[in-house]
This record gives sequence, structure tokens and C-alpha cells, in this order.
Amino acid sequence: MPGTAGRRVRLGVDVGGSLNLVGRLVKYLSVAFLFPVAVGLGYGDPVWPFLAASAITLAFGLALERATSGGETIGVREGFLVVTLTWGLAALAASIPYMLDEAQLANPLDAYFEAMSGMTTTGASVLVDIPAVDRAMLLWRALTQWLGGMGIIVLGLAVLPRLRVGGRQLLESELPGPEYEPLATSIRETARRLWLLYIGLTALLFLVLCALGWTGVDELMSPYQAIAHAFTTLPTGGFSPQTRSVEPFAGATQWVLTAFMALAGTNFALQYRALRRRGRPLHDEELRLYVAFLLIGTLLLFLELLRADVFQAGEAAVRHAAFQAVSIMTTTGYASADFAQWTGLATFALVALMLIGGSAGSTGGSVKVVRHLLIGKLLLRELDQTVHREAVVPVRLNGRVVEERTLRAILAFGVIYVGLFIVGAFVLAIEGARAGLELTPFEAIAASAATLGNVGPALGFAGPMGSFEPFSPLAKGVMILLMWAGRLEIIPLAVLFTRRYWRA
Amino acid sequence: MRILVIGAGQVGTTIVEALHADHSLVVVDTDPDRLGVLAYRYDIMTLEGNGASRRVLREAGIVDCDLVIACTSRDEVNIVCGILAEKLAPKARTIVRTRNVEYLEVWLERQLDVDFVVSSELETANAIARVIGLPAARQTEVFAEGQVLMVEFDVAPGMSVGETVGRELREAVIPPDSKVASIIRGGRVLVPRGDASIQPGDRVIVICSPDAARAWGHILSGGRSRAADVVVFGGGATGVAVAGVLLEQGARVRLVESDADRARVVAEELPGVRVFHATGLEADFIERERIGGAEAAIFTMRSDERNLYAATLLKLRGVRFTIAIVDDPASVEVFERAGVDVAVNPRIVTAEEIVRFAHDPRIRQLSMVEGDRFEILDIVVRADSELLGKPFRDLPMTGSLIGAIIRGEQAIFPHGEDMLQPGDRAIIFTESARMHQVERVL
Repeated sequence: MPGTAGRRVRLGVDVGGSLNLVGRLVKYLSVAFLFPVAVGLGYGDPVWPFLAASAITLAFGLALERATSGGETIGVREGFLVVTLTWGLAALAASIPYMLDEAQLANPLDAYFEAMSGMTTTGASVLVDIPAVDRAMLLWRALTQWLGGMGIIVLGLAVLPRLRVGGRQLLESELPGPEYEPLATSIRETARRLWLLYIGLTALLFLVLCALGWTGVDELMSPYQAIAHAFTTLPTGGFSPQTRSVEPFAGATQWVLTAFMALAGTNFALQYRALRRRGRPLHDEELRLYVAFLLIGTLLLFLELLRADVFQAGEAAVRHAAFQAVSIMTTTGYASADFAQWTGLATFALVALMLIGGSAGSTGGSVKVVRHLLIGKLLLRELDQTVHREAVVPVRLNGRVVEERTLRAILAFGVIYVGLFIVGAFVLAIEGARAGLELTPFEAIAASAATLGNVGPALGFAGPMGSFEPFSPLAKGVMILLMWAGRLEIIPLAVLFTRRYWRA
Repeated sequence: MRILVIGAGQVGTTIVEALHADHSLVVVDTDPDRLGVLAYRYDIMTLEGNGASRRVLREAGIVDCDLVIACTSRDEVNIVCGILAEKLAPKARTIVRTRNVEYLEVWLERQLDVDFVVSSELETANAIARVIGLPAARQTEVFAEGQVLMVEFDVAPGMSVGETVGRELREAVIPPDSKVASIIRGGRVLVPRGDASIQPGDRVIVICSPDAARAWGHILSGGRSRAADVVVFGGGATGVAVAGVLLEQGARVRLVESDADRARVVAEELPGVRVFHATGLEADFIERERIGGAEAAIFTMRSDERNLYAATLLKLRGVRFTIAIVDDPASVEVFERAGVDVAVNPRIVTAEEIVRFAHDPRIRQLSMVEGDRFEILDIVVRADSELLGKPFRDLPMTGSLIGAIIRGEQAIFPHGEDMLQPGDRAIIFTESARMHQVERVL
């Protein structure tokens, strides 16, 4: 085009092909709405919002697919765009039923916040009155977390036909952690095994919770509660259909949930190999550090709870300390007690745990234990090399050498993460002051950490028993971005804002 | 004996030199010039061609050979040649030279069907370890998925007599989970009865667990090994092998390599070795890393000149003991004249090892000797064996010895009160003459 050549810069990214793939992925999301439809039919709740959402999603996906030409050139670059857009649109699709038929979420921004919080397994809610929401809608809310936990693209790779273009790139962008760990020779098979394990664990938790209900250990645990909690525990999501999270449940239930949250925060590839009796999973360095962090967090909370007389010494104190440490560090976000009311020291420990996160390859969010481990090793090496300048010291993880490029990426990730966290906290604090909210700077910090780390509840009015509803629209928009970036581990979203990404 | 030698390089030449007088030799090489030199100097037959070619091997008369030595500088040629030889001349013994230690491991695990594999790098490393005074354990055989080892140790000639060495075996301190299978003294093989003893200068063969092998190494090094502080210069294949062997013996090993990429590769390959990217000759580096305080420095860089300069410099800086690898055979004298304590030529060491095997395989590699004096048997005990239910101390002491038993998945190193059970796998060290008898009673 000679006339326009002077102005238009040729794009280096195949936007059409990317949109085509996004359309193909989003189209299949319409199937997910059938689950709340079935639930709605069973409970006599309205099903039309889900049918409508299903139809809209299908139509939109098909239209997007038709409007663009599907090239076979989905490469490394396009992968970032595909993953980021797919997540944005998936959350949009998930928000349709909220907008159509839930008075508390009639505002599109609120609906999108709730949907993004669901898909990214954050668990921050703008609902104020949960019992007013019907059960089909609450189960849909739980299902969005379950789908987002192991990843909608991983699911797509596992079950959809002809999606193998750029599969590796897509999987790497979506799976949490610095390195993709193949479980099988093909990506498709790896994705399948991960999802099978995920489904298996969810079913197991569902049965255990049901058993607690049937045997009368926990009167409150109905099959409905069991499935809602199974759907939100394994993705480390944290949407409970209870107003006061899991506080009303029996101690045994809370212990079971603690165990499964801890499991959800460990590397699924490691769990898979442990099941197959391959390797020595207990010698995994990340797992050991993960357990150590959990134990230290539990101990600190326990001591502080005793010191401040929040609980008497005994099973309850241990349980609440363990439950909250595990729930927050794995970025689930359930609460067995209103920790927003705990002492400053205890809440400080909780915010620190928010910045640790789960293991690589788990459904947990935040920075991830393996990155802390490797950054620690890098710093040790730096100290070593300041004294011994010529020493060549490869950094090893479980005996295997970690490439320098990976280490650099991890360091960059750490810096960007902290930067985004601080910027987020600032914006929330300033915006909170502008809007006249009762939000202390520390609570703004907690809200930033809780949304970027996909944890969920923060402190203050946004605490576990509260709601994110009071935040101003701008603050909600910022937190939507933080959740989005946090789930995709920032980089796929961040590169889209660089000029070099779009240049040919 | 009719011997076929593939490769007329330095190793091949040294072998020819040692063997030509007593044996009839055929030498194959692709380079006619090298063959010409040999043919004029020694009474041998030469043939120009590729040693990995079946046609060439047949032409060289491999079918009538008693021993085939594949010692070119290329591993793949040697291995193909060895494999072909096993098929073309089943009766001949085959020796393969390799530069890659991995092939040696493959052979030890019996996945490479040749009689003997010599790794130049490993032989050099062992030679250096011996020189430094660390015992060179040579792992000769692996049984039961690595639970049972048969290890040869060289007892240093200057070793002082202690609780183990120089004492009658029935009173000597022997690491648990191990049995002395044989003592070799001056080319004679002794049955280790209770009144026998291990003497300095002997070679000992032990059947033991991996832990016990380390304990033996510790004892036979006089407990000195931990203190050793060694610096290796040069991260080539030889340097890596030397560092690896010394590390295994419990020494503190540092390695200096001047190429950044290579230094990285070495550091990745040897987790226990401290690797530096430096030439190792800068005064500042030597001072800062206290290189002068090392007990020994080993120079394995590619050029003799560099090694000589570095060795001399480090000697000046206070290193007590210097060992250099030399490339040119003539350099050995130059180095020793210049004050380098020991100069080692890897190719000569390799050739010597091959010649030793060719002369008398029994001394070097007992288990490899087929139809010779000793055998290692790996037998499952029958349900009607007459030895069942008898404590070991009551079994007659003959020329054979049960080194270990594998029961279930577990390796047991039997003591006096242990008994054989049906289904046990027994690892037995025996004189060939008694082999059938052993097979019968078990």
C-alpha cells in the first residue's frame, strides 16, 4: 500500500491468527454454562441467564473465528497475546450471568471484578449479601475458580482438537512457575494428566467432605456445600458460599480443607510422579522449603495468637493458625476466623505470607516458592563471587543446573512483581483517600498483595468477612488488572505494553 | 600370541614396542606414514585401512587372532572395532581404548560386550591419584544393581603397617559389609585365609558394599585423604577425570580453566569441584585464592609449554607438589629436569595398562578372565543344595569364597553365623578349577 506505507508500521504479530485462536477457545467456554443450568434445574433456580450467556459466548466466539483467518503461524510471540486475551474474554463471558440476573452485580464493573476474581482464583468478592444469591449462581462462581485453577488453556490443550499450534508457548504462559515440566512426550498428554489429577483430587475432597456431612461430624456440610468447597479449594480459589467463609464448619472440616489447600499449593507434576512412584518427591528442594514456610507461618501465627489472647492454648489455636497460614500462603483465601480483627503483628505475618505463594506447577498464585528459593541461591552466589571473583558457580535446583537465562527471568519477575505490588498499593491508598474510604495504608498494601497474588480477602473492610464493594470504580479497575497480571505471572501481559513486542 | 592392534598413534606405538619381541603383531591404521615408521623399526605386519571396517579386519586376519587391541584416538572407531571383533573372532580377547569415561561405565555395567575397556583419562587420573598418595580404587565389577562392588585397591608401597595392613586377616580391622577376595603380591595370587595379611605394595581385591568401598579407600590412604587440597589447572577431558577421581577419594579439589564456556561446562559436570575462570597465572588470583597453600597442583592444560611454565611458577609460589601431564614423550625428561615433581604421559599410561592386560590378564582384571584361573560367579542357590542351613563358619575354606548374597532385593555380606537359603543369589569368587564343584554343591 504505497499511500499509507509512510504512516503504518508493519506489525510483527499475527493479530488475526491470534484472535482466531482466541475465538476458537472462547467458543468452547459456552459448554461450561451447562453445569449451572443443570444445577438450576435441580434446585428450581432460574436457568435463563446461563443459557443466554452460553449463547452469547458461542456466538461471540464463532463470530471472532469467522471474522479472522486462522493462520498456522501461532508462534511464540502470538502466544502472549492469545493467553492474555483469552483470560480477559473468559472473565467477560463468566460475568454475563452476573450482569443478567444478580442485583448485587448489576454494575458491569462489579460483575467483571467478580468474574475476574473467579477465573484468576483470587476469591475477592464484591458481594455484600451472599445468602441472597441463588445456588446456581454461587456454584457458577465456584466453577469459574475451578476452571481457572488448572487453567482454561491447559484444559483446551487437553481436550480440544487441533489446538497444537504453539501449544508449548501457551502452556508456559499459563502454568504457574518459571519452567514447564513435561509429564509426557506430548503437550496434549501432559495437559491431560494434569487435568486428570486435578479432577481426581477434587472428587476426593468432595467425597471426604460429603462423608463428614453424612457421618454427622459436620451438620452443616451438605453435598451442595461439599461441591462448592471442592471446586474452590483445589484451585486455591477461596469463594465460599458462606457469608463467614468456612468459620461455621466443624474443626474436622477445617483440618481437611487445610490438608487439601496445602496439597493444591504443591507442584502437580511432583504429585503425579509421586503417584507413579517415580523419583524421590520428598527430596524436592522446593517442596521442602514450601513445607518449611508453612510450618514457620503456622508457628508464628500460633505464638502471636496466644500472646495476644485471641485464642486459648489448645486445638483451636493450632487449627486457626495452621488454617490461616496455609490458606493465605497457598493464596486460597478461606478464613476460619476473621483474621482482619487479629493483632497487627498477626496480620503483618499474613501479608508476608501472601508474598510467598504456592509452588511452581501448582494452582497457587503469587511469587511461588521456587522463585524465592532460586533468588536466595542467586544472592548467595553473588556474595560468594564478591570474594572469589573468578569462581564459576552454576545454580542448581534438585541437582540440575538452572540456566542463567532462567535465573535472569526469575530475578526480573521478582523485581516487576514487587514493583507492581508497590504501585498497586500506592494507587489503592491514594484512591481510597480520594474516595473517602476507611482504608489505612497497610490495608491498601494488603489489598494490593491479595489481588496481585490471587489470594482474595485483604484486611479492613475488604477482610475475609467483608467485601470489596466499597472500593471506587478506579480502584476496582486497578485490582482487576492486578488479578489478571498475577494469574498470568505478569510477563505475558506486560510484554503487550512494550513497543518491541508489536514491531516486526 | 597373535595380536591385532588398531591404531598406530602414541598408544599403539608404545604397545608395539612392548609386545613385538614376544608376539606376532598386525597393526592397522589409516595413515600409511605412521605405519611406515613402525614397519621399519619393528618386525610386524602392517595394513592400511579403517579399523571399523569388517573387510579390513578380515583382511588383517582377525579370525586367527588371540587378542585385539583397538586404540585409535577415536572412541567410536574403537568400539565398533571391538564389537566386530567379538563377532568375527569369538575366541579372541578384545581391548578397547576410550577417552570417554561414560563408555567405561557402560562396559562395567556389562552393556558393552568387550573384554576390557581402558580410558586414557581415567588411567591418567588413577596414576595421578596414586602419585599423590590417595589410593586408586578401581571399580572393576558391579553386581546386584550396584549394591555389591568388586573393587581393586593398590596399597601404597610406603604405607605404614597398622590395624588393617600388615596384620593377619583374622585379627585385622576390616570395614563391615566387605570381604577380602584376593591379595595379589608380585604377580602371585594369594587365597586370603585367616593367616594371610595385606602388605604394603599389594593389590587387594575386595567384594563389598559401596559404603565399605569408601571405608577401604579411607583405610588404605592412611586416613590422609580428607586433608588433601589439590588444584587442577585445565578443564579438558583429562583435567575433569583427574578432578573427578580426586574428589571421589575425598580430596578438596579446585579447578582453574581459562575458557569461560568450558569453565561453565566443568562446573556443571562436577558439582563438588570449585571451578575458577582464570588463567591461574595472575599473581593477584594466586594470592587471593591462596593457591600457594595447596598441597598439590596438577597441570592438564593442552600445551606442554604452558604446563611447564605454570608448574614452575606455582612451585615458586609455594605449592609443595607439582604433577604435569605431558603430550610429547620427550617432555617427561624436560619437566623432571625443570623441577616438576612428576610428569605423566597419558598415552604411555594407557599403553602400559593395555600391555599389562595383554601380558597377564589375571593380575589386572580378575573377573574378566574367562577360562583362566579365577571366575566370578553369580548363581542362584538351588533348593536342594547341600550347603543350605549350615552357618558360614562351618563351610570348608577352599579356593572359593562367597562374597555376598542377594536375598530379595537386599545385599548381605555374610558373617560366620549367617546361612544360605534357597533362592539366594550368591556372588562367588572362585578358582576356575573349582568352578564346576561350586556349581554342583550350590
